[in-house]
Formats: sequence, structure tokens, C-alpha cells
Amino acid sequence: MPTSITNYLAELIPLLASPATPLLDSQFDQLARQLFATQFRLVQPYRNLCLARGCTPASLTHWTHIPSVPTASFKEFDWTSLPPDDRTTVFHSSGTTADTPSRHFHDARSLEIYERSVLAWARGWLFPHDSQRLELLILTPDPGTAPHSSLVHMFDVIRREWGTADSGFAGACNPAGQWILPHHPVRSHLIRSQAEGRPLALLGTAFLFVELLDQLRTDPIPKALPPGSRILETGGYKGRSRALPKPELYRQLTECLGISSNSIVSEYGMCELSSQAYDHAAGTPETGLNRTFRFPPWTRAVIVNPDTNALASPGESGLLRLFDLANVRSVMAIQTEDLARAHPHGFQLLGRATTAQARGCSLMGP
Amino acid sequence: MKPLNYFLADLPPGTSFSPTMIAEACQALKHNRAQYLASKSTLNLIETLADVAADWCDPHNPIRQLALKDGPAATGFSAPVLARGLDQFFGQLTADRLRQLVFQDLGHLDRLDRFVATEPEHQTRRLALATSPELLVHITAGNLPVPALMSIVLGLLVRSAQFVKCATGTSWLPRMLAHSIHARESKLAACLEIAEWPGGNTPLETVLFEQADCVTATGRDETLTALRLRLPPQTRFVGYGHRVSFGYVSREMLSQSEARQLTRAAARDVSAWDQSGCLSPHLYYVETGGTIAPRDFAEQLATALAELEAVEPRGQLPPAEAAEISTRRAVYELRAAQSLETQLWQSPQSTAWTVIYEEDPRFQTSCLNRFVYVKPARNLADTLQQSAAFSGRVSTVGLAACGDKLRELSTALARWGVARVCPIGRMQDPALPWRHDGRPTLNELVTWTDWEL
Repeated sequence: MPTSITNYLAELIPLLASPATPLLDSQFDQLARQLFATQFRLVQPYRNLCLARGCTPASLTHWTHIPSVPTASFKEFDWTSLPPDDRTTVFHSSGTTADTPSRHFHDARSLEIYERSVLAWARGWLFPHDSQRLELLILTPDPGTAPHSSLVHMFDVIRREWGTADSGFAGACNPAGQWILPHHPVRSHLIRSQAEGRPLALLGTAFLFVELLDQLRTDPIPKALPPGSRILETGGYKGRSRALPKPELYRQLTECLGISSNSIVSEYGMCELSSQAYDHAAGTPETGLNRTFRFPPWTRAVIVNPDTNALASPGESGLLRLFDLANVRSVMAIQTEDLARAHPHGFQLLGRATTAQARGCSLMGP
Repeated sequence: MKPLNYFLADLPPGTSFSPTMIAEACQALKHNRAQYLASKSTLNLIETLADVAADWCDPHNPIRQLALKDGPAATGFSAPVLARGLDQFFGQLTADRLRQLVFQDLGHLDRLDRFVATEPEHQTRRLALATSPELLVHITAGNLPVPALMSIVLGLLVRSAQFVKCATGTSWLPRMLAHSIHARESKLAACLEIAEWPGGNTPLETVLFEQADCVTATGRDETLTALRLRLPPQTRFVGYGHRVSFGYVSREMLSQSEARQLTRAAARDVSAWDQSGCLSPHLYYVETGGTIAPRDFAEQLATALAELEAVEPRGQLPPAEAAEISTRRAVYELRAAQSLETQLWQSPQSTAWTVIYEEDPRFQTSCLNRFVYVKPARNLADTLQQSAAFSGRVSTVGLAACGDKLRELSTALARWGVARVCPIGRMQDPALPWRHDGRPTLNELVTWTDWEL
């Protein structure tokens, strides 16, 4: 491993151990510059971009000016400082099999950083008051079935850290590679949890929860899940299943499973990142109607005005741009296609740029 | 001006309608048509329509003034873009052109008034009369107002009562046209209704479709297919689906001076209605081997777009549309940083205009709002092969060529399925009698009666 990365990790790892400690802008800036310099040097296409923009580690004035790469470009470029032989793990974006997926490469060391980042930040949101392990019912396929899903890997990391021995994955893949939810195992799991009075944590994507709701509507479970049960819901629908607006999804989850909305947590993440944002700590009172997502101190989100590409003024909606100090072997500055609005302590998601309707009657595509 | 309050679309936004209201409106339209419009002569209607169009071209006309004052906020187009678009549309709407349209599509100017015969009909001892639908319903989509305005004009010309259902946020200019008709001849406007609601409101649309004799619709192909299935079997359906357009420049036209003129004309095509229509170019194919190379053409086009932006600025975009442009730009900026095969020119500190030069010859659709591609072409046959996925879905090709090659390329484009070929610079300004998507427009609406003697 290059010395610059070894030195950087020596500073980063202590931060990952103290997620509750805020990071001063100067501290973040110092680390971001260090990481930017390394990535500028080691990731050739990224270096080309920075040079085309006239931005070098020497000319950089502030971390917010670090050139970002669009999420869509992860399909086209290998944003990694890892030599091909060292790329032991690759995470792909979800989507249809016809698409070329986004790729985020890891070696053992960068995967370990990823896992530290996941665990450090998830605890306060998913298990804020738990002293014991909890039974997890994960609605996605297992890591053996979906080896390139960063989400499945994240769930597995969470399961190993906080799940009971009988926790597991309930999902499967259909022949087209789409995730599905087999009916009977999930239902019997829910009923057993009710009968034993043991709280259950359900983890999955929004569309898998919609699938679960469809099943429960035709075949309801008799009672609410035991107190302490909770839900972690993530991700959009990617054109599958019925899309439900979030308040409606939450309402139906409460109705069918007896889990109130203050025990439903939403996660925002993507395979291009090594850190995640959450919008609510499970089981704590709701603070307001409009939840906001928060990243750990080692990841910062800014909103850019999509028209001018300048930082948006407070309260203005725009594109979400992320700077993840845990994205060590990739590129730390990521330009997402998500529209968001900044709030004092986080951001609110408003939608996606690519799903916007074109004006007129012309085709989008090809 | 008095507040405009006559059509359903004049009601405050968010007003909800009941199926009964829609049914009653349709009945009233049919009644008013029978009382007034049905007995009007074609010549008389042409005169009124030409007068309405002349009003729109008159800088002192209060409705035109209102359209240019409030239009930018209501439609998203800047006032100069609206002014150019409206001048082009209404400037064409003269009595002469309308007569030419009737003559071209129906063979005889009096075809809608009485039984008449053209020479071939005469030779076969026949007369024919064209009858219009009693109630014509238009389902319009998208931001570009011209298709809706044209539908209203054609509907009046064939003397149908009309109900125009606009997509959310798009009824403003059709309303203004309706009010200008009301100002000229209020009884004509009584045969016209404009309303706006989000598509897919089954209770309202079911009533509307039951009342309609003919439904015209513009929109996405899937929307049209779904719509057709909802119509009663006897109701005629005229659908105008997705179309794309592009430009093609032959190498003989690429001298220094011609290229400059062409790129200025191309910039006008891209900026007309902010590139939001089916006739707006997504890309220009430029032949290699001319004095000006395709990459230089792209650069000159960028210069021309920048110049035009100063006098005809693009409208303000909602964040999602601006985000689409900046997201695409970011990807091309990256590619351009890696290889000379891609180059990007863009308006500084705004998404106002973007030119992407790309050597990859495959047809590429744009995200519009003045975002255009330039690609090198070896020859037209190659280009058409690269565009195979869009065969039959291309509306207009803006073509720059000369001599025999102009006819040769036009013929090849026609055989490939292109509906319209025109000079670069006129892509968004079709001749009034043009055959929309390759079909005679009036003929689509009427029903013929042959009388054999």
C-alpha cells in the first residue's frame, strides 16, 4: 500500500471510532486535502479531470472545491487506486442486468474501512438503546446470492455485529436477477417472533417492503410485532413494484406490522460511497414531520445549484454532492443525481434528476 | 385588460371538475356548434382565423401584450423566445395559406360546404363532401404550445366543436388563443372549451370520450396506446407520438462563410421554443472532408448559441431539468478530460446552452433545453445506419446540401421514413399546410361522402 494511504489511514481510523465527535471544518479540510492529493496522484482518469479543471492539490483552496465525479461515471470508469490484482471485492449498483453496473472496488484493507464506517454510524440510528443482540430479518438475498451488492454486504456486517444467531436473509433472486421475497418463510418468521414476544428488526429496500405489504394484505399476520421491533428501509424502487410515497409506505407498515413510524428508519447510501446517511434513530420520538438525513462526521454533503454549479444558498434545492473521507481507494468527491435541500443538521431528499420528464414530446434515451 | 374568465381553464388552479360539469360543457359546445359554427362557410372561417392571427402579430394587441408580459412566468419561455415562436406561428396563418391547406388536403376549397368535384372525380362522375366531427377532443401534452394552437385552428376550420384538455401547467397559451378568438367572434369561442387537469383522471375522461366523435392526442407512445384503448370503438383516434429531429450538413456546404451562416441557422433551430418540440434538433451530423471540420462546426455552433443567448435567453428551468443538464455535462466533461474524441462547450455559470462534440457516430438524443450534439458523418448512408433505432420516428431533418446531392439526400431520407426535410434554420417553422408526421392533417379529421351520379 502506498505510504500516503498508510499515513492517511492512521489519521482516519481514530475518527471512525468516535462517530459522536463532530469534526471541525479545518480538520475535515486537512484530511480531505490529504486524500485528494493521494487520489489525484493514483487515479489516472481522475487526475485528467482535475487537470482539465485546473485543480491540483497545490491549487486547492478548500475541500468544497475538490472536483467531484458523477455517479453515472462509475459505469464507465474504474475509479480506483487499486491495481487490478488487488481488487478483491467489487460492489455493483443495483439495476437491470441489461445495464452496465457502477463498480466500486475494494481490497481487504479498504473493505475493512468500509465496514468500520458502516458500523460506527449505524449503531446510533439502528440500535440506540440496545444492550443485547436483536433478531434481524433481512429481506434481501444473502451475500452468497448477491455477492456484489454493497447493501447486502452492509446488512451482513450489521447482522454479524448486532444480530442474534437466528438472524438471516429472507430474499431470493428470480431468473432475471431481480430481488424477490418468498412468502412463507417471512410470514412464519413474523408469526414466530410474535408468539415468542421477541422484538424483530426488518431490514430491506423500499420495494421489498412493498412486496411484503402486498403479501400481508392477502394473508395478514394476527398481531402487531412485539415492542422494540423496528424497520430499516432504504433505496428507491428502480422501476420495480408499486412505488409508494414514503408517508404512505410508513402508514401501511404501521398498519400491517404494528411498528410505529418512530421505529422506522430510512437509510441513504449507494455502492459508490463507503458511508451512509440515516434520518431517524429507531425508537426515539419523532422530532418533526420532515426528517433529514445525516452522514457521519467523516462525510459531508453539500447542495449545488444545478444551473450554476455553485454551492446553493441555504434552503435552496439542488443536486447533492458528497465528500466521503472513507472512500479511500476510490474517489472521495461524488456528484449524485439526487435533488435535495439542506437543513441545519442534514438534508432532505427531493427526487432524482434522471427521472425528470423532458419537456415537449421528445424521447429520452436511447 | 378585463380579467379573463370564460373557459374552464380560466378558473383558479386546482379547481376540480365533476363528470357532470364535463358532460354539460360538451352538450353546450355541441349545441352552440349547431346554432352557429356548423353553418359557417369555409371562406368565412378562414377570414376570421386570419384576422385572429393578424391580431397576434400586432404589437398593440392587448392579448399579445399580455402573452409576452405574463407568458414567461406561465410557460417557462423567455419573452423573446415566445415572441419569435408566436410570430412564426401566427405569421403563417394567413388567408392564403389556410386556403392552400384546404385545397391541398381536401382537393377543393368548398369541400366542407357542399358537394363538389375535382377533375378526377368529375371524370368518374362523382361529387364529394367532407363532414367534420361534431365534437373534437384534443388531449395535448408537453410544454410546446404550437401543437395545441394548431389543433384549435384546424378544428375551427373544419367547424367542429372542440374540447381541449391540456396537461398540467400547459393551458396558458391555448387559453390566450381562445380568448383572442372570443375577442374577434365570441360565438366561435362558445364552440371551444379549454381545460386543464392531470392526465389519467378516468371519471372525467370517460365522460369526455363518450361525448367525442374524434380524439386527437399528442404525447408519449405508451400514453397514446393506453388512450386508444379507452375510447369507444366508433370514436376516431388521431395520435401524434414521439418524434425526434436532427440536422445533416453535407461537406460541400462547409466553406468558411457558409459554415458561419449554417451554424447561426442551426443555433436558431436549437433555441426555437428552447428545443422543446419534436421538430427541434437533438444533434447535427456534419460530413467530414469539408473546409470546416465537424469539430470546428461544433465550436462555431457554440459561439452562435452564446450570441443568441444574449438576445433570446433560454427560459428559467425547474431544478430537476437543470440538474439533468448538469449531470450530463459532468459525464461529458469527464470523457473530454480523457480523450480528444469528446469536446464540450457550455455557457459559463449557467445551463443556458451546451454543445457536445462526440466522434461516436451513434444517434444520441439530447436532454433538450438547448443541449445539442455534433457528430462527424462519413456519408448519409452511414448516418442512417447509426440511427437505425430511430427509423420511422424522425420527424424533421434540417438538411444543408446543394445541387443534385440535395435531391438525392432528401430522397434517401424520405425512403428511410423521415416525415419532413427542410433547410437548417427552419426546423421549428414548418409551412402551415405541412403533413404532420407524414399525414394530411385535415384529412385525418373529416369523413367523406361520395355521391355517384
